[in-house]
Amino acid sequence: MIREKETTLYLGPQHPGITGNMMVKLKVQGDTVVKATTHVGYLHRAFEKLIEQRNWLNAFTLLCRFCVPEPDPMELTYARAVEELDNREVPERAQYIRVIVMELARLQSFMLWYAGQAGSAGLYTLGQWSVGDRNYILDLFEELTGGRIYHMYIWPGGVRRDVTDTWKDKVLKTMDYLEKRQDDYNQLMFDNTIFQKRAKGVGIVPKDKAIEWGVVGPPLRGVGIKSDVRIDEPYEVYDKLDFEVPTAEGGDIWARALVRKEEFRQSISIIRQAIEKMPKGDYYNKVPNPMKWVVPEGQAWAKTESVRGEIGFYVVSNGTNKPYRVHAKGAAYTHGVTVLEKILPGQNIADISFIMNSLGVCPPEIER
Amino acid sequence: MSFIDLKGILQPLGALKQLGKKPHTIQFPAESIEASDNYRGLHFNDLDDCIGCGNCSTICPNEAIDMIDLLNIKEKKGDSSLRPRIDNGRCCWCALCVDVCPTGSLSLTKDYIFVTEDPNDFLWTPGIDNKDAADKISYTSDVSTSISMYDRVPMRELEGKERVKSFAEVVLGYSEEEARAEAQRCISCGLCVEVCPENMHIPEYINAIAQAKDKDALRIIYDNNPLPEMCGKVCTRLCEDVCAMQVRGDAVAIRWLKRYATETAPTVELIKEIVDPQIEEPNGFSVGIVGAGPAGLTAAYYLALKGYDVTIYEAQAHAGGMIMYGIPKYRFPLESIDKQIQYMESIGVKIKYNTKVGKDISFKEIYNNNDAVFVGIGLQIPWNIGIKNEDSPGVIPAIDYLTIINSDGKFDVGKKVAVIGGGNVAIDGARVAARYGADVTILYRRRVEDMPADWEEIEGAEHEGVKIVPQAIPTKIIRNKEGKVKGVEYVMAKMVAQDGGRPRPVAIEGSETIYECDTVIGAIGQQADFDWLPENYKEKVIIERGKIQVNNLRQTGDNKIFAGGDAVKFGNSDAISAIADGFNAVKGIDKLLLNK
Amino acid sequence: MTELIKEQHLLDSLTSAFKIKGRVIRDRRVEVFADKKMVSGILLFAKKQLGFIHLAHMTCIDWIDENKFELIYTIWSPIEKIHLFVKTKIERENPEMENIDSIWDQANTYEREIREMFGIQFPGLIGEQDFALEDWDEMPPMRKDFDTKKYALETYYQRPGREDAKDVRETISERSGTKVPDFAKKYSREK
Repeated sequence: MIREKETTLYLGPQHPGITGNMMVKLKVQGDTVVKATTHVGYLHRAFEKLIEQRNWLNAFTLLCRFCVPEPDPMELTYARAVEELDNREVPERAQYIRVIVMELARLQSFMLWYAGQAGSAGLYTLGQWSVGDRNYILDLFEELTGGRIYHMYIWPGGVRRDVTDTWKDKVLKTMDYLEKRQDDYNQLMFDNTIFQKRAKGVGIVPKDKAIEWGVVGPPLRGVGIKSDVRIDEPYEVYDKLDFEVPTAEGGDIWARALVRKEEFRQSISIIRQAIEKMPKGDYYNKVPNPMKWVVPEGQAWAKTESVRGEIGFYVVSNGTNKPYRVHAKGAAYTHGVTVLEKILPGQNIADISFIMNSLGVCPPEIER
Repeated sequence: MSFIDLKGILQPLGALKQLGKKPHTIQFPAESIEASDNYRGLHFNDLDDCIGCGNCSTICPNEAIDMIDLLNIKEKKGDSSLRPRIDNGRCCWCALCVDVCPTGSLSLTKDYIFVTEDPNDFLWTPGIDNKDAADKISYTSDVSTSISMYDRVPMRELEGKERVKSFAEVVLGYSEEEARAEAQRCISCGLCVEVCPENMHIPEYINAIAQAKDKDALRIIYDNNPLPEMCGKVCTRLCEDVCAMQVRGDAVAIRWLKRYATETAPTVELIKEIVDPQIEEPNGFSVGIVGAGPAGLTAAYYLALKGYDVTIYEAQAHAGGMIMYGIPKYRFPLESIDKQIQYMESIGVKIKYNTKVGKDISFKEIYNNNDAVFVGIGLQIPWNIGIKNEDSPGVIPAIDYLTIINSDGKFDVGKKVAVIGGGNVAIDGARVAARYGADVTILYRRRVEDMPADWEEIEGAEHEGVKIVPQAIPTKIIRNKEGKVKGVEYVMAKMVAQDGGRPRPVAIEGSETIYECDTVIGAIGQQADFDWLPENYKEKVIIERGKIQVNNLRQTGDNKIFAGGDAVKFGNSDAISAIADGFNAVKGIDKLLLNK
Repeated sequence: MTELIKEQHLLDSLTSAFKIKGRVIRDRRVEVFADKKMVSGILLFAKKQLGFIHLAHMTCIDWIDENKFELIYTIWSPIEKIHLFVKTKIERENPEMENIDSIWDQANTYEREIREMFGIQFPGLIGEQDFALEDWDEMPPMRKDFDTKKYALETYYQRPGREDAKDVRETISERSGTKVPDFAKKYSREK
């Protein structure tokens, strides 16, 4: 092998295999990474500052835009933090609806992941399929919330509109379809030599460092640690539903893919249970006139499990009709910066976008 | 894993089986998908239902909505005649504007394709620029899905059975928590301000209450109403009729909120401390006021603040006029009136009681000794019912009956009472009689929904056991041998629609009925008494059909004489209109004497 | 509250080790208030001795009326399943806080963000000065005295065409010929 001198390479800031603009400054020797420095800032929209200038309800028009593939967990986490501050009960039906929405959001996000993960390995067919099928979930969202990507549906006190029986039937039908389709996806992905060879042993997160590094979600479960906010700190009605938290060993892209593959099944199962168990009743505990709604003084922290891991919101009220401070932290905040910088050295340039996708890096969420 | 993994190479080829399947995609433009029934597309606004409250514009997180004057919208009460215009370059289709629209006029449609090369085209007015979208409405809000607060915080009241035992105040008032919750419902549009004869700063004081700043609320109220305690209890609250919330729900309880604000200052000292009235240096002018009713008191208060030397001449032993003598104490207790009068006197208003103009003092004297005169005499002479035997003992006008009772006098109404009329005075008479243990029935010419009395009063009367016989026209009083009232004969009426007016009652022949009773209370209105006014003044002042003619500044034909209240032909005959007259007369007097 | 034994126990072990005040907020939530000098000690103690190995979140609040910044470290124990909030307030003038990225590497990201958004210095912090912003020479933007709207109006071109917008309340006032007194204006509808 010819010893090559170190060169600097800028990866990005176009979408480097992930959803959002981000740049990674690489020191490479040949096509091996020696050092990686992340650069974010292409998607900073000052959402947290803007939220401070709007009323408590207005915030959710911005929240969902924190991370494009996963708008709903943001809405839910914020809503839960505000409900804690305001001592606001959420009707049980609304809690079931929230769970269904959350799991549908996970499913559609998994499908984007299928597309991104396969696409960054060169398996484009799978991307076409899963993004096409994702539209069936977006159709469900459209019917429920009126919007396809940004739903602005979960808000403090409950949800915005009630679900109908016909919608529930449609959800169940879609679940049956997706369950069958996942076998097709897996045939193209997990049974595929190309994917296996690309994924195994690549982008390893060391097990002993994972929690300390702030690794959450599937990457953490991919090192064999059973950690999931839905189990550790159950919210809504997750404690009334029966589901498994899959883990895998190895900490590589392959392990994370296996975890997601199984979680896809679990989400379908959760949706079916939630639809079956959903009680009748109110879907919304009305908040006062939003322009005059004053949330009592205090601070609250809420966290939710998204597809990429835990999402946390720190919400502060100073007793006025506007939030005093809202600070959000998603999985990408650690995965996309410090974790990425640690595991990239020694990897192949061609694998970088593959690894980023597997870690669930979502730049708009890092800088908001 | 061997280098060549045959299974791993062959398995993905299974994808080829998809080749024979029908694609899920559609052929554009040959095929199109209709958006769902709940889709959040471009806006549509029903211009007739819209009242221009601007709530959509206030909530919009992107400042995408402007309220603009369309000019072709007819100006009417309870409608700002402004309509929303959307900047579609800013809109994020969150539909909060739809969810807070109190009338439900604003909605989103299934239209989502809007292409233009000129950015200025993004500004357009829904309902005008997309008239055809009316049949594509998808995302709407109804009373249950809207986030407007349509339900009023209920007012606590004494039980009907408890009430008739005494003259204790029926309405108990809002607690602090209730008041805050009710005040939060207000969307601060201000449509109510226009219909209030006195144009009180309603959105501001309600907002102050919502923000727990009760003292500021009281200050704002006293800015143009010196009798808020009275208004907080017995105002006819025209404001609530045009409240944006009232379109699909309950109007904000503006009157009760004002009442709540006044209750936070239970003593004269507190009122003075909170309102902190700024009294100007004496300006050397003096004003004489005839009658210490709401109009006279209001004029006196603001004149005194401006440094005038003010004296009120009141025929009765108490100030307050009709609110003192005409309103039963269960609606407006004596302490409340006294407190308001004491507050007035504390800032320098002088009141001469038991001084009837024309008897104890001549009008000429007042006229000559003062730089201006304000006349607020009200209406004291009841109209006759206009039926046979009306002069029999046992027939009494409601206003006389109320005055006797409110002056601590006695009037025995017997066991059964008939009240004739449908206004607040009739209901007052009926409810007072009920408190003396009488079985009371109200006879009214039209339907219950036509009654000019407040619905709360009607409901209150019914809860207290008062019966209402609608569409009943009295024809004569039946007397007993001694010539006293024995009953009243009436005929039933049918309602006949007529062009350009409310339905007219027409007697049904042969439907004569006799209601036996001991007393008949007539309450079909009053007129003013002008006997005290010397002829030479009467000529200049101009009195037409029993009412004094005034201009906007409440100035009469004699430019030194101003007038207001029920005796003036201007607006409604209620206390708040009288207050407005007093307030505006102050401006007129200022203009006359200081040329301001 | 008997059911909060675990939380109370945690609080006790922290208050016995350090001279700090704290409280159990609810189940799974404990907060302690510490002097800024003690924060790294508490965090290290919690991480090494009490099992709070995960730094879940770190944030800053600008209490401008108090002239203080509040820093909040949210740490999580996967064994006890408790969130511990370590809160400290520092002066708003020349704010400086100890760098804790030697305890948790990812604190580096939070600290870079806080340095940029609030202007708090963390001596010894490695990482580029710019985080989400680029060539920013105004006041740190998340400070409460930074006026976003003013900045936007001064910096960006405002497209004309919306000058005819009217205020409903003012329109009604004009039509009825009245004026809202100045002291009441702050209660008029927000624009």
